[in-house]
Amino acid sequence: MNKRLPFLALAVLWIAACAPAPTEVVPTPGKGETPVGAETPSAEPSLLRITFAWPLYVDPAVGSDYVGSTALANLYDTLIFPNAEGGMDLYLAESWDVSDDGLTYTFHLRSGATFHDGSEVLASDVVYSYNRLHTIGEGYAYLISGVTDVSAPDDTTVVFTLEQPSGLFVPSLVRLYIVNEDLVRANTNAEGPYGDEGDYGKEWLLTHDAGSGPYTVIEFRLEEYALLEKFEGWWNAAAFASNAADQVKFIGTTEAVTVRTLISTGELEISDQWQSVEAFQALDKIDGVEIMVFPTMSSFYYMVNNRIPPTDDVHCRRAMSWAFDYQAAVALEWPGTQQMVGPVPATLGGHDPNVFTFHRDLDQARAELAQCAYADELDKYPVQIDWVSEVPAEEKFALLFQANMAEIGIPVEVVSVPWLTVVENTAKQETSPHIVTIYVSSALPEAGLMIKDRYHSSTAPTWQQNEWLLDPELDAAIEDALATVDEEARFAKYLDLQATIMDMAPSLFLYDQLEQHAVVDYVDWTPEANSAVMGYQLFLPWIGVNR
Amino acid sequence: MRLLAFLARRIYQSIFVLLGLSVLIFIIARILPGDPARTALGARAPQWVVERLREDMHLNDPVPVQYVYWLRGALGGDFGISLVTRRDVANDIIEFFPASFELVLLAGIISGVAGIGLGTLSARHKDTWVDNVVRILSYMGVVTPAFVFAIILLLIFGLALGWLPAIGRLSDGIPAPPTVTGLMTVDALLAGQLATFWDALKHLIMPAVALALGALSQEARITRATMADNLSKDYIATARSLGIPERIVMGRFLLKPSLIPTVSILGLDFAGSFSNAFLVELIFNWPGLSRYGMNAMLRKDLNAISAVILVLGVIFITVNIVVDLVVGGLDPRIRLRAARSE
Amino acid sequence: MAKQGKVEKLAPPITRQYVRELQRQNRMENLGRGWYKFSRNPLSILGAAMVLLVTLLAIFAPWVAPHPDHAEPFTDFGHAHLPPSLEYPFGTDEIGRDILSRVIFGFRLSLWMGVVVLALVVPVGVLLGLIAGYAQGTRVDTIIMRLTDVFLAVPPLILALAIASVLKPNLTNSMVAVSLMWWPWYTRLVYGLASTLRNEFFVSSAETMGASTAHILFRELLPNMISPIFTKMSLDMGWVIIIGSMLSFVGLGVQEPTPALGTMVAKGARFLPDQWWVSIFPALAIVAVVLGFNLLGDGLRDLFAGEEV
Repeated sequence: MNKRLPFLALAVLWIAACAPAPTEVVPTPGKGETPVGAETPSAEPSLLRITFAWPLYVDPAVGSDYVGSTALANLYDTLIFPNAEGGMDLYLAESWDVSDDGLTYTFHLRSGATFHDGSEVLASDVVYSYNRLHTIGEGYAYLISGVTDVSAPDDTTVVFTLEQPSGLFVPSLVRLYIVNEDLVRANTNAEGPYGDEGDYGKEWLLTHDAGSGPYTVIEFRLEEYALLEKFEGWWNAAAFASNAADQVKFIGTTEAVTVRTLISTGELEISDQWQSVEAFQALDKIDGVEIMVFPTMSSFYYMVNNRIPPTDDVHCRRAMSWAFDYQAAVALEWPGTQQMVGPVPATLGGHDPNVFTFHRDLDQARAELAQCAYADELDKYPVQIDWVSEVPAEEKFALLFQANMAEIGIPVEVVSVPWLTVVENTAKQETSPHIVTIYVSSALPEAGLMIKDRYHSSTAPTWQQNEWLLDPELDAAIEDALATVDEEARFAKYLDLQATIMDMAPSLFLYDQLEQHAVVDYVDWTPEANSAVMGYQLFLPWIGVNR
Repeated sequence: MRLLAFLARRIYQSIFVLLGLSVLIFIIARILPGDPARTALGARAPQWVVERLREDMHLNDPVPVQYVYWLRGALGGDFGISLVTRRDVANDIIEFFPASFELVLLAGIISGVAGIGLGTLSARHKDTWVDNVVRILSYMGVVTPAFVFAIILLLIFGLALGWLPAIGRLSDGIPAPPTVTGLMTVDALLAGQLATFWDALKHLIMPAVALALGALSQEARITRATMADNLSKDYIATARSLGIPERIVMGRFLLKPSLIPTVSILGLDFAGSFSNAFLVELIFNWPGLSRYGMNAMLRKDLNAISAVILVLGVIFITVNIVVDLVVGGLDPRIRLRAARSE
Repeated sequence: MAKQGKVEKLAPPITRQYVRELQRQNRMENLGRGWYKFSRNPLSILGAAMVLLVTLLAIFAPWVAPHPDHAEPFTDFGHAHLPPSLEYPFGTDEIGRDILSRVIFGFRLSLWMGVVVLALVVPVGVLLGLIAGYAQGTRVDTIIMRLTDVFLAVPPLILALAIASVLKPNLTNSMVAVSLMWWPWYTRLVYGLASTLRNEFFVSSAETMGASTAHILFRELLPNMISPIFTKMSLDMGWVIIIGSMLSFVGLGVQEPTPALGTMVAKGARFLPDQWWVSIFPALAIVAVVLGFNLLGDGLRDLFAGEEV
């Protein structure tokens, strides 16, 4: 009779949270004594171990969640590199020009960069990488869109031609990881869904890398771990910290008790970010362990269905927005967490810090509720709030909502729903619940991209939008903003969009997510020196290990 | 001869059981919420990529047609591609099964030996303090889920005492022995690497004990109940009155027939552990089949779900045949009737 | 329920009626002897008392629980994760609710679930096992037992997920779901027992006497399996309580804030060891239920199987 519980402490990969922003300064952990059992003979290679939510995809045309992005940022190089200020620096590209009509971008590669097998990085590899990503269409392929042609006139020049001007094209190249064409071709299985390209090397790239980045995969066990080794031949080797780890092990577990045991016994240097507040508090009490905290490009939303009673009435939605106790919610999270200001995370470029924002005010809530068409028959329309079973911490926020709404007489039913069911329910208007609670993160530091993901009609049939706004005017305004190449003009349009959305009160905006990691004190890591783009906060060459 | 006929018949029947199971699971797997292709590719993947994957997996065909495709592949050993690991399901199963098998086998041995031992002890000292202590301990064991045991064991032996390693099958820096059986401990012994054997065994102890405790408690209770009943039967009194030594009375006359229900439950526990060990495998980061199967279910990895359940089906059927054989061995009066009324 | 073998020794003509009368007398005697034994065993009395107490707590929960409102929509994050104290004897959970009150309310749902599921599962599972075991080697045996194999082989989680996606989430449906995954265990257990017992002397004598199949199944075979079946049933009370929480997870069972013991244990486990009271007290409550039912079950077994001593 061994039917044991499937309660999962799995972190939800799909709702990946994001990176450090350049603003907040996080104290660097002091150098204390080494924890018990931590001594390793100095002759051995230094090892940095980090836990992650699994599975890990190291294929640049497949990976895109937190662990995948982290691996890709370290195994592969890109034309440009995201900096801590939210902008992009030159990287494998030495320079780039754009034509006057904004449709042709020319990149000039630096020479001398080599892949892990010693062969040189050429413009043709960039073209191959783009074609591979685009043809496979998974992972980050959606981000680099609207490209009509890519060519390599010579070994160091790459030309991209766009369909229409886009403000997001250059930032999006941070997800174009350059793969070694010859190596991938040599390991391509001729049988596969991609015609002449066979399987495009997908099977081989599952457990190997073909990059030129600072680290390379030396061992990969699908369900367990991946072992990375420092690549001494990296073109940018000067950027390695003097004590950068010789080997890095990505461990595929996020179980609280496991992580705690590993850290206490000196078998883990950096924890994953998926631990509960209680687990981080316990980790914080261990000698020689600090909790690092930094902002992300992710926020916690209550996505309200704007198409079914009673939440199809804006007054009912506003009543709920006024009645919710945001400060109580924030207090349940790690200290320093802030209520959302407006509809997007404060870390995004173009965010409006002065936009109208709801706070708890029961008088306002009752006044709005009185204007709601369903004010007299609220009992007939109990509001169902679904939280994602795999993220147990979401439950208490749903219960808080239930208690808050009881104060103004709105009946609420709290339901725990597995992620796949959430995805299925939100795909159709008829099955979308009144409210579903989801963390959403932005792929690039652009407010407009987040607004598009959350409120553009194209995302309505996905889990990214339970609101079903389907507002053609709003769609047009979002598209116009994103096509604006000039940053200042684009950001100005983002401000208007944020004001428009707050007026519609389509969702409840809870808080901007902070990211936490438990880190042992013999590791030098300053997340604020890194970009906020997901995957780059754990840029390994800049993390030192002192033992 | 009887035995062979019995085996032949059961194996022949098993083919139909597996077919029935495959149909059932094929339907169940398709009732589960979500589009598997969309789930695998993520919300942001373009629709045409999703469509291409749906085509590849024949998801746009009617379910019976899908079943035929699947069956044709499965008969040839091709279970399709897993959407989670993105490679052949058959490869995955070959890789992950031995880890689970090693774990469940040790857990089964621990629970069988300790469960029957405690049950016998309890029955011999029926209604004394020994019986009551065993009884209360086994109630606690029965109601505590395996993953709670896993957490408690890890907290005691991993965290507080530091005696046993927390995760994986081998420590960092110890190379795996050449794969023969896939069971790390056995392979290490075969290769004559005693240090590796010891390390692998240390990794195995906590998850195996965590898995075993619940089953052990139940087996102890059932053994005790049946033995206590049989103890009062006439034939035991007869045997004793004939002056047969107590050891033989207990062992041969009492224990053997009393084990029948225990063996039934033990077999089910053993087979069930393959599907129920996933939280224990998760906590100890054990690369096993159970965890693989659970990930498949939560992410609607159709091919992996079907294949894993088929493997579980084979395990259940095999175990049930073995159980019926053992029950027959324990009680010679049960004839393994191969052909009655056929 | 007498073994037929004893009856055969009697001299008067063995009519069916006469046998019945003898059996009845025998049964009454056994019952009387069993009751004497039951009432003399302090453990049985303790078990009965525990079951009674838990049942009363469940029925009168709103009047007994110190904070009955904590079983309803309620949050008090200011009092979250308080260790056991005079005010909160079992401490508080992460929502700031009194765990003692929630345990008392939890008995309601958990007991109900346990009783209903066992009432659904045991008759079906036992009947099928009896038939298959008695008809061992026939086509009936094959069909029943191979069907059992199929159900056993489907992992409970996937069965629960599938059922959850078809049925509406409520208590009745969750009990149906648990029952669906549960019956094969009884069938397997009873099958093993029945295939041994059917070779006993008293069964063949009954067959020779021309007893009906129903008589053999329920009067000859079943009484001799009461012990393991009862043991398993009383252990299963705990299991059903725990498995119920699996369904809450997939969105099928009862949902928060309604307290269920199994769910409290499973959710509280992630706060071990620092906030141990969140999971340990509900777990002890389940142990108490199981203990009570087992002690009572052992006692009842003596009551019914009195003649065997």
